[in-house]
Amino acid sequence: MTDALVLKDVRKTYGQREAVHGVSLTVHEGEIFGLIGHNGAGKTTILRMISTILKISSGTIEVYGKDVTKESDEVRKLISYLPEDAGAYKDLTGRRYLSFIANFFCSGEEKERMVQKGVELADLGDKIDYRIDTYSKGMMRRLLIARAIMTSPKLAILDEVTSGLDVINAYEIREVIREIARSGVTVIMSSHNMFEVDMLCDRVGMIDQGNIIDVGSPDELKEKYGKDTLEEVFVAAVKGA
Amino acid sequence: MSHLTNIIKKEIKELLTPGSVASVLIMVLLFASLGGLIGEEIGKSATLPVIGISNYEDQTVDTKSGEWNAYDALVNIYTASGVPASEIDDFIIKIDRDNIFDDMMEHGVSFTFLLSDTFKSDIESGKKGVLEQVYIYEPSGMVGGTVSTTMAGQLVNYLEQDLSKSIVGSQSEMEHISFLTSPIDGGHTYTYVKGELQEDVTPSEIANKLSGQTMLIPMIIMIIIMMVGSIVISSMGSEKENKTLETLLTLPIKRTTIVTGKILAAAVVGLVFGLAYMLGMSFYLGSLTAPAVSSTDIDLSKLGLALGLTDYLLIMVSMFLSIACALGICMILGAFAKNYKSAQTMTMPLSILAIIPMFIVMFSGWYGSNIVIQVLLFAIPFSHPMMATEALLNGDVTLVLGGIVYMVIFALVSILITVRLYKSDILITGLSQNKYVEMLRGNRKHQKH
Repeated sequence: MTDALVLKDVRKTYGQREAVHGVSLTVHEGEIFGLIGHNGAGKTTILRMISTILKISSGTIEVYGKDVTKESDEVRKLISYLPEDAGAYKDLTGRRYLSFIANFFCSGEEKERMVQKGVELADLGDKIDYRIDTYSKGMMRRLLIARAIMTSPKLAILDEVTSGLDVINAYEIREVIREIARSGVTVIMSSHNMFEVDMLCDRVGMIDQGNIIDVGSPDELKEKYGKDTLEEVFVAAVKGA
Repeated sequence: MSHLTNIIKKEIKELLTPGSVASVLIMVLLFASLGGLIGEEIGKSATLPVIGISNYEDQTVDTKSGEWNAYDALVNIYTASGVPASEIDDFIIKIDRDNIFDDMMEHGVSFTFLLSDTFKSDIESGKKGVLEQVYIYEPSGMVGGTVSTTMAGQLVNYLEQDLSKSIVGSQSEMEHISFLTSPIDGGHTYTYVKGELQEDVTPSEIANKLSGQTMLIPMIIMIIIMMVGSIVISSMGSEKENKTLETLLTLPIKRTTIVTGKILAAAVVGLVFGLAYMLGMSFYLGSLTAPAVSSTDIDLSKLGLALGLTDYLLIMVSMFLSIACALGICMILGAFAKNYKSAQTMTMPLSILAIIPMFIVMFSGWYGSNIVIQVLLFAIPFSHPMMATEALLNGDVTLVLGGIVYMVIFALVSILITVRLYKSDILITGLSQNKYVEMLRGNRKHQKH
């Protein structure tokens, strides 16, 4: 099994405060890996370091064998990052935004195909040609998911991907994530929604105060901690209940 | 606490951020230094100038109330104005008629009164005596040129009144009343421009004629700088506020491409807006200066004060580089903008940096400023295209080229700093997570304890 993502003793320091303390983990190709932890545990910091937008204080991160510090330009060709509260350029239409992003990856007919793929993934109907500032939160999220996926990344990094969405939108977005994983894309995602993580993820990493406290499949973790739900597992792992 | 107080407290806390306070402090400092400069210039124009007088020795007029000599009259005016008798020779220079230009240059004389050979005989026979004014034109903004001309005019009036008083008793015929009240013909003016003597022109008239060119460029530069500054900083603020920056930074594009793209887009928009403003402004200034120009019909090219093609090219290069420098500064400031609102506050210091050289250049110019102001002007990259016209009219290509070299270095350094910032965490985490800021906060907390 190929390793899509390898973190070795990764640390991140903000000023004099260490936010991530020597995290090591491996995500395999085609896997959906979930990071769970409470607010401020270090999930977003880890995802941002993988995405090359935050510097690693020490340790190494490799994406498909490419070092994110030394080969950041190469890594950016392999990944697609969707931040938690990401936005889009509001004076563009949905289609123009997808086209703007596609321009960084390819041109000509290939670009047109990529944009069409994005339009289909977003599934916004004729609203795709409306200005983005008229979109609801759900529509915006669908557009951004489409933007992240249409480029066929090898590793999709999704931060709180369904946060704040209604049941239908959240369900449809989870379906999209399952679909892309089936097509061979590796996914690392963070979420507060334990139900979502339980349903979607092949393996889960529990993070507390900048440390990975356990890693395993949802079933393995439930069995290990003798709990019925992932939520109970997390509480038990963090509080020792 | 009342509801109103509660709201006011919250609003004040939001408005008084470290960034806004720093901007205001910078503005206060800049205005204070500008005030000092203006005060100095006003002081300069209020003090008596160093003047020259020539061909006065044999032109002492005999009147019934005694002898009247132009030099003695000037000495009386200067001593009455507070100049000690021992220092008169430093203020009123006796100029050799055959060596006027060199003598004036040597003593830093701004203008010289040259009495005609028939001054004495003309006055004594009831005709107006001719008193010529000879100037040396030196570019010194709008004010510098007019100060010497105004001063000379006032001194001619004083001399005329003084002579008038002396001769009133010696002339009895009432038909000579116009002569008695105005015995001097001081309307003949000569000015050395680039060492060549030009007839019937004063530095003030030259400054007026040139003001169209010397005012337009500084104003346009200031507008462009403020405009592109606002565009770039706001663009960064919007990227952060709309949460699009993180996505942009994870796309497969080099940081230098993002920085260059933002800079070039702002430069193009700024130039287009600037050209539109230039067009509007030239109409505006044209309508303002039209009557003055027609009354003083001076052909600048005949005076050697017209710009050539190379000069215009140098001004264009200088303008382009100053915009590049402004964009460099804006990209650095924009990196620290938290959102659109804070971005707007950050444009303030840049605007002030654009306004200061504009005022100095229009007011006293590079050549009329002291060394401290010259250092300040040179250090602010936006000054160089503003000063370029005056420098090139003065034949000072070195100043313009020096400015170009300085701006190239300034722009490169600022772009390098911007690229470094784009590669750092500051864009995402802001200054709050910076170790130095944390150390400062830690020290402050420690001091409180």
